Amino acid sequence: MDLLGRFVQGDIEAFEALFRQLQGEVYGWIVRIVREPGTAEDLTVETFWRMYRARARFDPRKPIGAWARRIATNAALDYLRTRRPESELPAELPQALSPDPALQGELQRQIRAAFDRLPAKLRVAAVLALVEERPYQEIADALGISVGAVKLRVFRAVRNLRKQLKQMGVHS
Amino acid sequence: MTNDDQERIRVELKKAMPPVDLIPRRDLWPAVLRRLDARAPVTPWYDWALVAGLAGLLVAFPQFIPLLFYHL
Repeated sequence: MDLLGRFVQGDIEAFEALFRQLQGEVYGWIVRIVREPGTAEDLTVETFWRMYRARARFDPRKPIGAWARRIATNAALDYLRTRRPESELPAELPQALSPDPALQGELQRQIRAAFDRLPAKLRVAAVLALVEERPYQEIADALGISVGAVKLRVFRAVRNLRKQLKQMGVHS
Repeated sequence: MTNDDQERIRVELKKAMPPVDLIPRRDLWPAVLRRLDARAPVTPWYDWALVAGLAGLLVAFPQFIPLLFYHL
């Protein structure tokens, strides 16, 4: 029996071999979304635990990488939904074109805070599409939605963020 | 909203979110094994005994069912 078949049967050695193959890919995907190495490690462990628990539902004829990425995305989404934004937004932010590095740093921190206030599903689509520049098809597969739905989420994230920044006097 | 708006937001987001290291800092297999070994919390026998006792009481004295719901 091949590796995937043995994994589906619950063979722990096959699972470890798959873990060794996929650990980097799964961690890399999660850390792109959550941006915190410690959290990404915890969520990588959670992802592999969910994979092992759901192994009977995996079809060994399909690529396991895509399945792992889908589970990893769901684990990251669950985490982002429960996490509260760390800081309140100020009424007014430093101007984007200010040459002062301290003001620029503060501006970026507040843009990040505004981004963290977006709904989790918009954040995931936006960070993968705009910051990480991953292909829309890859994001769609990981989220289990269509490419059109990903584009819509990115559009809504940008519109929402622009509105927040405009209220704070950053964007015209 | 124009493509320029989206591009400006994208540039500002990229500045606000510096690249992250895509390689895990440690081997996570031991943590996965610990997670697999962790058992689901087991309900102690006396909790089951309480539930069984309560169910028995309600079967014997059904007139107390509304009282129970009142106190829940």
